Amino acid sequence: MNVAYFSPLPPERSGVSDYSALLLPALQERVEVTLARRGARKPPRGTDVALYHVGNNPDAHAWIVDALRRAPGVVVLHDFVLHHLVAGITIGRRDGHGYLDIMEREHGVVGRLLAHGVLDKRIPPLWESRPEDFPLASVVLDHATGLIVHSRTVRDGARAAGFGGPIWTIPHPAWPVPDVAPERIGSGTVVGCFGVVNSSKRIPELLRAFARVRKQADAMLLLVGPTSPGFDLDRRLQRLGLVHEGLVQEGWVDESRLWALMAGADVCVNLRHPTMGETSGSVIRALSLGKPLVVSDVGWFSELPVDVALKIPVDDREVDTLASSLELLVTRDDVRTEMGQAAAGLARREHDLGHVADLYVAALEEAAGGDAVGEAVLGEVSRAAADVGISADTSEAQEIARRLAEVELGR
Amino acid sequence: MRIAVCRPQVPFARGGAEIFTDRLVAELRERGHEADLVTVPFKWYPGARVLTQAFLWRMLDLDEADGRPIDLVVGTKFPSYLVRHRNKRVWLVHQFRQAYELDGTELAQFGDSTEDRALRRKVQALDRVALGEATRLFATSRNVAERLAGSAGLTAEVLPHPPQELDYRCEGYGDFVLSVNRLDRAKRIDLLLDAAAHDASLEAVIAGEGPDRERLEALSRQRGLDGRIRFTGRVSEDELADLYGRCLGVFYAPVDEDFGMVPFEAFLSEKPVVTTTDAGGPLEVVAHGQTGVVVPPDADALARAVAWLREHREEAGQLGRAGKAIAAGVTWDRAIERLLV
Repeated sequence: MNVAYFSPLPPERSGVSDYSALLLPALQERVEVTLARRGARKPPRGTDVALYHVGNNPDAHAWIVDALRRAPGVVVLHDFVLHHLVAGITIGRRDGHGYLDIMEREHGVVGRLLAHGVLDKRIPPLWESRPEDFPLASVVLDHATGLIVHSRTVRDGARAAGFGGPIWTIPHPAWPVPDVAPERIGSGTVVGCFGVVNSSKRIPELLRAFARVRKQADAMLLLVGPTSPGFDLDRRLQRLGLVHEGLVQEGWVDESRLWALMAGADVCVNLRHPTMGETSGSVIRALSLGKPLVVSDVGWFSELPVDVALKIPVDDREVDTLASSLELLVTRDDVRTEMGQAAAGLARREHDLGHVADLYVAALEEAAGGDAVGEAVLGEVSRAAADVGISADTSEAQEIARRLAEVELGR
Repeated sequence: MRIAVCRPQVPFARGGAEIFTDRLVAELRERGHEADLVTVPFKWYPGARVLTQAFLWRMLDLDEADGRPIDLVVGTKFPSYLVRHRNKRVWLVHQFRQAYELDGTELAQFGDSTEDRALRRKVQALDRVALGEATRLFATSRNVAERLAGSAGLTAEVLPHPPQELDYRCEGYGDFVLSVNRLDRAKRIDLLLDAAAHDASLEAVIAGEGPDRERLEALSRQRGLDGRIRFTGRVSEDELADLYGRCLGVFYAPVDEDFGMVPFEAFLSEKPVVTTTDAGGPLEVVAHGQTGVVVPPDADALARAVAWLREHREEAGQLGRAGKAIAAGVTWDRAIERLLV
C-alpha cells in the first residue's frame, strides 16, 4: 500500500508539523509513503489512499484542504473547530460568499446574518470571539472518506455533525524522552505550565490559585512559553504579589530546554477553555516523563484517566478547585509519585509510537480497500436475499441492514 | 439452564474444536442443563466469503427456541461468536488466525492487494465488535488470551478444558514417537520427517487426516523413511488410546498453536511431550525437563531429543507422570463452574 501524505512538515513550525515529523518514520517502516509537496493539488501518482492532516491554522493547512476537495481521502482531524481555517480559505482569499455559504449551511439564516456582520466588521471575528460555537468542520467532513481523530470528543463532534463514514480514534503518539538533565528552578515543589501564556490557557485562574498555594506551601510556579500580545502578565503578577518570588517565567525555549525544564518540574498544569477539540503536545510530553497532571475538565483533557490527571471543571469554583488540587500535589509527594507512575504507564501503553503507527496502518488499509470489500459483502448478501424474494424495501431487508451495521459491515 | 453451544462446521472435517464442543454439550447435560449444539457451515474463501459466511451467524435468532427462552449462548471459534444474545459468553478456541499471527507467513490467506488488506482488517473489526459484546470472555489457553489482548485489546480469563475422554493408560515406553494431528502445514509434521531422515533409528506413527497427507507421505517415501514412519490416517478412539499407551513419547510442535489437547492426552497416558520453543500454547504445560522436552524448531535437535528419550525411558516415565498430575487438575467440574458463574 502506498499512502499519499499531505501535512505541514519541518522546518515549518506547527504542532501538526511536529506530529508528522514524529509519526512519519514509524509509518514508513510499515507502509510505502509518498509525501505530497507543499501546494500539491492532488495525490501523487501510484498511491492507493490519501491522508490529509488538517488543523485550524490556515497558513499551514489551506493547501491541504484544497487538495482534499479535489481528491477525497482520509482526514486526520487535529482540531474539530476549524473556523479560523475556513476564514483563511474564504475571507482570506477574498471569497466572502464562500464564508457566508458555509456559515449558512452549518448554522442556517442566523449563521449567514452573523457572517454578514463579520464581513461588514459590525461584530468581532467569530474565529476569535466564539469559534467553538461555529466549528465549521463540514469544510473537511464533506470530503473525507474516513476520519482519524485523537479523542472521543472529536469523534462525537464529527458524528453529531452528521459524518457517517468510518472514524478511527488513534491516540497522539508520544515522543521518545531525550537524554537531558532535569533543570530545577528552585528548591520547593515546582509547578510547571508549558505553552502560550494567555487567557484561554487559564493563566489568570492559575495565577490566582497558585498565589493561594504559596501561602500554604513552599512551591514555585514555572511558566514556559511566549506571552500572547495583549495579555498583561506583569500587571497580574504584581497584583498577586508573585513578581519577585514564587514564579519563574521563561519565554519561548527550544525543544531540548523544554524537555529539561519539564523534567525538572514536579507537577505539570495544562488548562484551557475554550477547547478546539485539540490534544496537547505538552501533556503528551508530561505523560512520557511521568509527571502528575492538572488539566481543565474539557474536551480531550476530560478523557485522561483519573489516576494521571486532576481535572478542574471550568465553572465559578474553578480557582478554588484548582488551588486545592495544586495544594494536594504540592504537599503530597506520595500522590505525585503514584500519579506519575500511572502517567508513564499510560504513555507506554496507549501512546507508544509503534502502537500508534500500527493503528494508522490498520485504518489506512481499511480505507484503501474498504469500499471494494463493502461492495463485495453487500452484493453477495443482497443477491442471496433477492434469491429468496427479499427486496430492498422490505422489513426483512431492513433487519439484514441493521445486522450488517452492527458488525460494521454496512456502508 | 437452557444453553446453546455455538460452533462453526467445516463439512467433512473434525478436529479439536469439534471434540471440545461435543464434550461440553454432553458435560452440561450430565449436570442437569438443557444443552444443545448449534452449528452453521463455514467456508472462508474466496475473497469476501469469509465475511459473508461469518455474517450468517448474525442473522440467527437464539433468544428462544420452540417458544422457550435460551438462557445462555456459548460462542467458541470464529465466527460462531458473532451470534447475538443478551447473555453471550465466549469460550474462545481461536480467532481467524489468518487475519492475525499467520498473516505474512506461508500459511497466510490474505495477499498484498488493497482489497485483501482491507478484508483482513474487516475480520479484525468483526472480532472487536462480536467479542466485545460477550458478557464474559474466556480463552482456552494463555496463548489465545494473549493474542486476543494484543490484537483486540480485550481481556479474557484463561479457562482450559480437559481433553477428549479415552481409555487413557500407560503400557510402557515403546520405540516409536506418536504424532496426533490434523495433517496440514501448520502442524509441522515435516519437522518430524526431517528428524527421521537425520536419525535412522527414529520411528514414528503419524495419526490423523488432512489436506497435507498426500504430500507428507510422498515426502516420507522420497526420503526412504518407509518402515520407520507409519501414517495411520484417522484412528478410532480405542486405537488412539492404544497408541498413546504404547508410545515412547508424543511429538507435538505446531507453529504457535492455540493450545491443543494433545499434550493433556499424552500426559494422561503418562507420556512426555516433545515440542519446540516456538510452539505457543503447548509450552504452557510442556516444560523442558519437567513434563517433556523442548527443543529449537530444528530437525537435528528434535532427532537428538527423541534419541535421548529412547535411551532414558525411566526419565521419560517421570516426565510423563509429572504431566499427568497437571492434566488431572483440569476437570469439567471446575471448567463448567467457572463458565456458568
